[in-house]
Amino acid sequence: MTRAYLEFAKKSFQNNIVYRSEYVAGVINAIVMIFVNIAIWKAIYEEEGSLEGVQFKILATYIVLSFLLQTLYVMDEYFIEVKVRNGLVSSDLLKPIGFRLYVFSYTVGTLAFRFLLQMLPALILSIFLFHLLFPFSTVMFLYFLVSAILGYLVLYNLNFLIWVSSFWFYWTFSLVTIKDAAVMLLSGALIPFWFMPEGMIDTLQLLPFASIYSTPIQIYLGMVPEDEILTGLIRQAVWVLVLYAVGHVLWKGASRKLVVQGG
Amino acid sequence: MALIEVTDLVKEYKLNVRKKGLSGAIRSLLVPEFKLKRAVDSISFTIDKGDTVGFIGPNGAGKSTTVKMLTGILAPTSGSITVGGLSPFKERKKNAMRIGVVFGQKTQLWWDLPVIDTFDLLRHIYRIPAQAYKHNLAMFSEMLGLQDFINVPVRQLSLGQKMRADIAAALLHDPEILFFDEPTIGLDVVAKEKIREFITFVNREKGTTMLFTTHDMDDIERTCNRMIIIDKGTKIYDGTVEDIKRTYGNDRIMVVEFGEKAEPIRIPGVELIDAKDNRMWLRFHKDEIQASLILNRLTQKYSISDFTVQEPEIEGIIRDIYLGGIHLDKSVSGVC
Ligand SMILES: Nc1ncnc2c1ncn2[C@@H]1O[C@H](COP(=O)(O)OP(=O)(O)O)[C@@H](O)[C@H]1O
Ligand SMILES: [Mg+2]
Repeated sequence: MTRAYLEFAKKSFQNNIVYRSEYVAGVINAIVMIFVNIAIWKAIYEEEGSLEGVQFKILATYIVLSFLLQTLYVMDEYFIEVKVRNGLVSSDLLKPIGFRLYVFSYTVGTLAFRFLLQMLPALILSIFLFHLLFPFSTVMFLYFLVSAILGYLVLYNLNFLIWVSSFWFYWTFSLVTIKDAAVMLLSGALIPFWFMPEGMIDTLQLLPFASIYSTPIQIYLGMVPEDEILTGLIRQAVWVLVLYAVGHVLWKGASRKLVVQGG
Repeated sequence: MALIEVTDLVKEYKLNVRKKGLSGAIRSLLVPEFKLKRAVDSISFTIDKGDTVGFIGPNGAGKSTTVKMLTGILAPTSGSITVGGLSPFKERKKNAMRIGVVFGQKTQLWWDLPVIDTFDLLRHIYRIPAQAYKHNLAMFSEMLGLQDFINVPVRQLSLGQKMRADIAAALLHDPEILFFDEPTIGLDVVAKEKIREFITFVNREKGTTMLFTTHDMDDIERTCNRMIIIDKGTKIYDGTVEDIKRTYGNDRIMVVEFGEKAEPIRIPGVELIDAKDNRMWLRFHKDEIQASLILNRLTQKYSISDFTVQEPEIEGIIRDIYLGGIHLDKSVSGVC
């Protein structure tokens, strides 16, 4: 049975490759976004000299990592919604497979595609173009990998809530837009937390968004003291579990609605 | 024990009642009002292994609703269903493993993928042994002519090609039971014929039990040994195609067009079913009264400009049942 899910991931990977112009565009987009953001921060630095005692090259690495992760974390936001609207969810339910695992496998297939064909090329270009710093230490790099995976799972489970809501709303474009904006602003994807007011940082740490970008990147840069890393990872894991649990309840409601009201 | 047992099956849909105008829209938003629509109203039947059963009825009769409940994607409001000892709704995945489903209006194939890729996925989903997969694929390709488009993404296929690929997909894992919902809808005569042949072949070769819905009577005459007629959610006939034909096979309908407006005429043994403008529809039993005799009686009073005598096709009989024109009497074995 696991074999079937692996096949879903593989098919989703192949599906992505079909749109060839798409992956060139993805790489170019990442590079341009990094370039623009670095340019903006550079202008601010030239005005101020130094900001919060953080060297510019650290900030540049932060920006590069953030956009590389963003490139990696793009998911098909309307995969479920389209199925709900054209009624093909019931086709999936007619098969002896778990729907949620199927959606997850599909998303992981896309992740593999984005890793190999978008993030890696962008990463290599970034090393030359933007002088990306190497990880603080090998240990920190391993922590970073674990943290980045947890960050992905936090985002996936958060996204899943929005996707499943399409069983009630049918159109989730606005919800997705609001969610994207919230993630951009509150996760440290655009503005590192150290530039934010002290009181706000504490609040942001209480929200799930910090777990997506801020935590893994700060670990990479060695900005998190060793004894706080574990706390950070646990916080990410807890968010994965909490969001998964909420998603579970929503999914049960959605499938009940489907089998009672008909697709 | 029968393979499929359905007892007192009921499905009610909840319909949102929308009120007119802006204030109505706001009121509906605040206090939603519901109406219940009974799509399936206490249907019972059993199907034995190897049977081919046609579900026929007009649009909105409740055919699709019944099939959806049998396949486990719709929960019954009340009543019980067992398919091979399982409750399709409660044991959805287990049930899914042993059934095949084709919905005429909704493809089961993956939209973006070439047909062969869907087949390949299905091989893993149903854990089809390599030998069986190869054998089935070769056989279905041959019979349904899949070679021409097996590498084409599903979204580029014509309706007929999609249907053929869908049917092959539903059969790859050698399901015990096959459910079809309007498999020939929208297809031309040749494509329909090909599909009917294939269905009959599979039933004969593999002994697959089949239930399919249609509103095309030919589908049933060609492929089924039994038919169930449903209308407005209730079963009105359950028996063989031959039985219904035999009983009504002697009926004739005469359509007469008069030269002037004609009053209804009483002729013993002749029943007036309809009259419109200058036309009349008369039903008679060919063993009881001759057509020439009827014409004779009519010409005594009115001039006749045209007439035809129709033999009953099963389609016509069913149409009459829908319209309430024929009252099924208890002498027909299948009448409910
Ligand atoms: N999901 C649904 N919600 C509300 N009403 C429905 C739904 N599906 C079908 N119906 C209604 O139930 C009745 C039976 O529909 P259906 O089973 O599709 O009939 P058939 O397949 O025989 O044409 C129709 O009146 C239809 O409008
Ligand atoms: Mg239907």
